[in-house]
Amino acid sequence: MVGTEAATTPAIRVAVGSAEYDRASAVLEAAREAAADVRVVETGPTGAAALAPVMLATADGRTAVHADVSPDRARELVETLDDGELPTDDAHAVVESDEGVPMPETGPLAAGQRRVLARCGWAAPAALDESLAERARDDPDDLREGVAGAGLLGRGRGDGHTDESIAEGWETARESDGEAVVVVNGNESDPAVDGDRLLLESRPAEVLDGALAVAAAVEATDVVVYLNEDDELAARRVREAVESVDAGGTEIDVVAGPDRYIAGEMTMALEAMEGADRLEARLRPPGPSEVGLYGRPTVVHTPRTLAQIRAFVAAPDEFETSAADPGTRLLTVTGDGVAGPATVELATDTALTEAVADGEEYKMACVGGRFGGITRSLDVPASAPALTGARLGTEGGVELFDGATCALEFAGARAKFAREANCGRCVPCREGSKQLVELLRDVYDGQFQPNELRELSRVVAESSTCEFGQAAPRPVTTAIDTFEREIAAHAEGRCPSGVCMETN
Amino acid sequence: MSTDHTGRAESLPSVPSIDDPRPHPPLTEHFNTGTATDPDVGARETSSLTVDGEEVSVGEEATIIDALGEVGADEELSALCYYDREDTDRIGPRSECRTCMVETDEHGLVPSCSHPAEDGMAVRTDSTEAEEARSVNLDLVLSDHNLRCTTCGKNGRCELQDAAIEADVEVPRYGVFDDRDEYEPIDESSPFIQIDRNKCILCNRCVEACNDVQVEGVLRIEGSGPDTRIGFQNGADEMMDSTCVSCGHCATVCPTGSLVEQDYTDAATIPVPGFTQENSIGETIGEDYDGQPNPATPMKGNQTYEDDALDGEADDE
Repeated sequence: MVGTEAATTPAIRVAVGSAEYDRASAVLEAAREAAADVRVVETGPTGAAALAPVMLATADGRTAVHADVSPDRARELVETLDDGELPTDDAHAVVESDEGVPMPETGPLAAGQRRVLARCGWAAPAALDESLAERARDDPDDLREGVAGAGLLGRGRGDGHTDESIAEGWETARESDGEAVVVVNGNESDPAVDGDRLLLESRPAEVLDGALAVAAAVEATDVVVYLNEDDELAARRVREAVESVDAGGTEIDVVAGPDRYIAGEMTMALEAMEGADRLEARLRPPGPSEVGLYGRPTVVHTPRTLAQIRAFVAAPDEFETSAADPGTRLLTVTGDGVAGPATVELATDTALTEAVADGEEYKMACVGGRFGGITRSLDVPASAPALTGARLGTEGGVELFDGATCALEFAGARAKFAREANCGRCVPCREGSKQLVELLRDVYDGQFQPNELRELSRVVAESSTCEFGQAAPRPVTTAIDTFEREIAAHAEGRCPSGVCMETN
Repeated sequence: MSTDHTGRAESLPSVPSIDDPRPHPPLTEHFNTGTATDPDVGARETSSLTVDGEEVSVGEEATIIDALGEVGADEELSALCYYDREDTDRIGPRSECRTCMVETDEHGLVPSCSHPAEDGMAVRTDSTEAEEARSVNLDLVLSDHNLRCTTCGKNGRCELQDAAIEADVEVPRYGVFDDRDEYEPIDESSPFIQIDRNKCILCNRCVEACNDVQVEGVLRIEGSGPDTRIGFQNGADEMMDSTCVSCGHCATVCPTGSLVEQDYTDAATIPVPGFTQENSIGETIGEDYDGQPNPATPMKGNQTYEDDALDGEADDE
């Protein structure tokens, strides 16, 4: 296994993700050509896009992190290591560690912790240290009881149990008629939320192993990995992992749905997988764990949820089981002043401020992806109840906006996205999003009606069929709550940020 | 990403090769209705619940609205898209309009037409939140409806009009759809049924009547977001080019004046009979129809009446 060998053998690791695919592939090729004795490992991305292409050189218990590596530089680094010397010149960081991607003191790799991210960018994607699925097949009760006892919650909007008990969903699936299916929902078209794609490109074997363990726990006969059509690299790596894992008789399929935001919603994911000619949300209850893919009980988990399940089984003692939301959460930080999307891992009792590099200035942040909540302060714990209590989203995205962003323009843009991207099925979402846009437009015409906006938002959120409509008004309501005076100023013909009066 | 020497993926399948255990009718054609395969939303067992404090018992398959009906509380709700007919269970609940929202202790606000009745459930129709949701959603339906009732053949026998009157809507919050530039032309192509999409509330009853009751597979929902509309499964732009057999079931179930039998398009217009949406908007699609060339259904299949052997020429195939 890669992790254990590394302690004794000098090694080079090149992190290749879809975002930096061509550049990183050239670096990998150069490193392989130059290597005489050192081992060159292709890994998945580290989560820190700003540093890409990243090359890690490890020898004698130390690791040098090199960022923005060119093919020529790669050759030099490999040759230096081949000569028995750790190449530390011009390194982004040199850390006393040879187990997992090291955490330097500054930069995007310094934020939070690396538990489920430990081997992202470190191990070969298809490598698997320990098969949790095998353990689950030997003793499925142990996994079920452990996860139930810990109270693990599902992560991300695409999960069948977003911010709800995973174990309860498993019980429902077990009690329902028909042979169960486990769906790994990796379909995400929100550019601000990258945790699932990171896991699929870096740790597909662990994601699959987690899914196979869940399959054992709920006695499912099939695992379906559902990706975006655009996810070529993830698809290739997942397929390679399928070849290398021991599925224990469970069938594994890899399929793709459209690159549309709605395709990640759990029931539209099922519709896409059933070959629907048009996507729209299904009524619920009953939800997918009772009646899912082809009517079969279907446990839908995101790669992020599966990674938590694996992390829990690997080290249950590290989970505070009395917490409302035990474990860690992956957060992708993007936006103004952020050099490149950075997916970081925070314990759920850690404040979101930890995800942002020191000295990062921002006027406001949108927390929770496309339909996240607006806030001035990130001093909120990363747990689902804390985020929800602060009226923020739990999707796993933190977008930073500087003083050149107008809260009204931002809210309007998100409302327009809701209007254009919804499936069209239910009135509160389809017509409500149109009227949200109209009411926001009225502000520019001199009429700011916060109570009407709040009333409409409330009804859209509470009576829409699926998470799309339920979340869609959040940018608007939180923008009003946080920047009411700034928005009201537009009704008097003034944009305090000085950005949007002319364009509207 | 570019494709290169690393030999990245060919395109992925979109349907997994796993078993579909559901029974399927032996259809020779597959219908593309454009709608989701909803689970069965009825209760699995009989249940006793309270509605506004009154105790009610309902049987298997019941949704909350059945319990409301037992005590007459359904009078409080528009439940606009709900097709409440005992002779068919093949239409609905679509649960799209959300004007049947009620408050439950257990699940908060839920649509009563499509939420299973549960034992012990406490339902309230009169909570502030439920009343607000029903009222806002009804106004949202009206906001996308062309409210020219006096030019409509369904004036006086329209479920949306009834709902608005019963809910005492005087001035809908969000106005009504009245932007002439955005009117869709009325489809006058069929000699039997007129389609005026400006009045459509997307309740999907016509699609279900067409596919699930008549098993004709003509109508579908197409598009998404603001472009969602009723279309034809064969891709036709107008009804005459569709595979419609003119059975009329769609017009029977349509709650508004969107699908109306041609003879009735001006049946209820006021103040002047004959002053219709058609001459009010002035835009239609479809050729004028002059005479019936075929005893029943000129549109079935790929035939048009021009190439039917109506004039006595032998079919030489």
